[in-house]
Amino acid sequence: MQDDALALFARAGIIVAESELNSRKLVINSADGRYSFVLVKPGDVPTYVEYGVADAGVCGRDVLMESRADVHEPLDLKFGQCKIAVAGKREVLGEDYNLLATVRVGTKYPRIATDYFHAKGVPIEVIALSGSVELAPLLGLSDRIVDLVETGQTLRENGLEVIDVITESTARLIVNRASLHLKRVEVGALIAKLTEALSQ
Amino acid sequence: MSSLTKIPAGVQYFFDDEVKLRRYVEQQAMKVFAGWSYDEIILPMFDYHDLFARGMGEEKAERTYRFVDRDGALLALRPELTSLVARTVATRFIKRERPVRLCYSGEVFRYDEPTERAAREFHQLGVEHIGEPDIVADIEVLLVAAEVLTALGLDGFRIALSHVDFFNGVAEFLKLDGAERARLRELIDRRNSIAVEEFLQARAASVEQSRRADFSRLIQIAGKQDVIRRALEILINERSRAAVEHLDKIYSTLVSLGLGENFDVDLGDAGGLEYYTGLTFKIYVPDCGAEIGGGGRYDNLIANFGKPEPAVGFSIALDGLVGAIPLGDETQRWRNANEAQAISFNGDPERAFNQAREMRKQGKQVKISAK
Repeated sequence: MQDDALALFARAGIIVAESELNSRKLVINSADGRYSFVLVKPGDVPTYVEYGVADAGVCGRDVLMESRADVHEPLDLKFGQCKIAVAGKREVLGEDYNLLATVRVGTKYPRIATDYFHAKGVPIEVIALSGSVELAPLLGLSDRIVDLVETGQTLRENGLEVIDVITESTARLIVNRASLHLKRVEVGALIAKLTEALSQ
Repeated sequence: MSSLTKIPAGVQYFFDDEVKLRRYVEQQAMKVFAGWSYDEIILPMFDYHDLFARGMGEEKAERTYRFVDRDGALLALRPELTSLVARTVATRFIKRERPVRLCYSGEVFRYDEPTERAAREFHQLGVEHIGEPDIVADIEVLLVAAEVLTALGLDGFRIALSHVDFFNGVAEFLKLDGAERARLRELIDRRNSIAVEEFLQARAASVEQSRRADFSRLIQIAGKQDVIRRALEILINERSRAAVEHLDKIYSTLVSLGLGENFDVDLGDAGGLEYYTGLTFKIYVPDCGAEIGGGGRYDNLIANFGKPEPAVGFSIALDGLVGAIPLGDETQRWRNANEAQAISFNGDPERAFNQAREMRKQGKQVKISAK
């Protein structure tokens, strides 16, 4: 996602030198010195922006939904396409979750998973995992998983299949609520430049 | 769960300089309120849950800390102060001359999910101006808010103005049902102009494409007179136009008072539609990532407690103001100017305490030491 984001910023005229990227600094500057970039883990992007430490950020819609950060989301940047899907071994439940009193769901997205199943009227037990989520149904830890799916290859190789797509996700530009006002001109210019670059 | 190893979420303790700073900020704000003839009202810490539900709506009243009275009635710690003021004005102030100007300073208690960053007990400062429908009251409260910020040296503040009828007019014009209305509001709130344009394409196909595109850009970012001018060019429906014209009058007055830099017109703020009926605004200060206060006109609130009356007001979070003032700056006015003078006891209580009393009469700060 970082490479796609930098490519888009470059098309918008905001260029980061290779030497900056290759350094191990976590705060780097654009070539013209007008923008600073903070490199953080994807899941932390909404936090940095919500608190206003960064005026704007780039993160996936999936991360944003899970964080429930209170930020503006002015642009869909179109790259980083993936799905958040419910997957599992179809033979276990078919598609009828209501056969069980409670569905056990292994996921890195506890909030998205809970919202999805609750909207269907199905109580769930969330099993919060931080990686190799596909293992959970194989070893009997959970009935279903809610996870990011790009090609579905990993799922297939582990005998799982997508049962329902919860939402499509792409990268988004997010903006701090106060920065939109306190740095109105700068933020406005950034949105305009990126909009222009996206329409090219 | 032991009270020695755990602290309930959201509680705060203050001491040392931070206490002095908080008191100073509170006093400065109350001084400004008094200067504009707002009388302080001290309100109860709790009341019936029903009162807050009537005032702020069921949904917001859900966020209260609740407990039961001895007769079984449901009580709530106050989640805000406006409902309590509204009830008082609608009942006990019924015979007083209008407008009534009241101000308050006090803690409110709210359980705020899911943003766990927020304190659950926080201190609000605010004013309510009740009984005056004219635009003059709208402008007055904006000036009071601006003066509080200026009095504290927060000159970089920004107040973003909006009006609920801008959105309501558009929703009415597009004949949106409840779900569609919520959807458009969400898109506008995210400032996602591309999605707004797609929405309009589906819902307002008869409106020219260029007008739809202009509207989508209008809500993306705040501005000054340019936003008002563009809005009046784009808008067709009367209700939204009237809202923008109202903002135009307010904004022109602010500009003529030299405050153009501190105020913006933000038509992308579609919050508070259930509660406010006219002008709405949000207050921002540098280096704080969220609004520190806000307000607007709420002409329907008082009717929940008696007969209908126009009203406008705002509140600011004390924590927001305090956070914007640097604590480490030795030159700040809120620090004690005079140091305490030490008096040693030295086995002679009469002399030491006499000396202390004399110095206290002169207004000096004393500190008795045992040695």
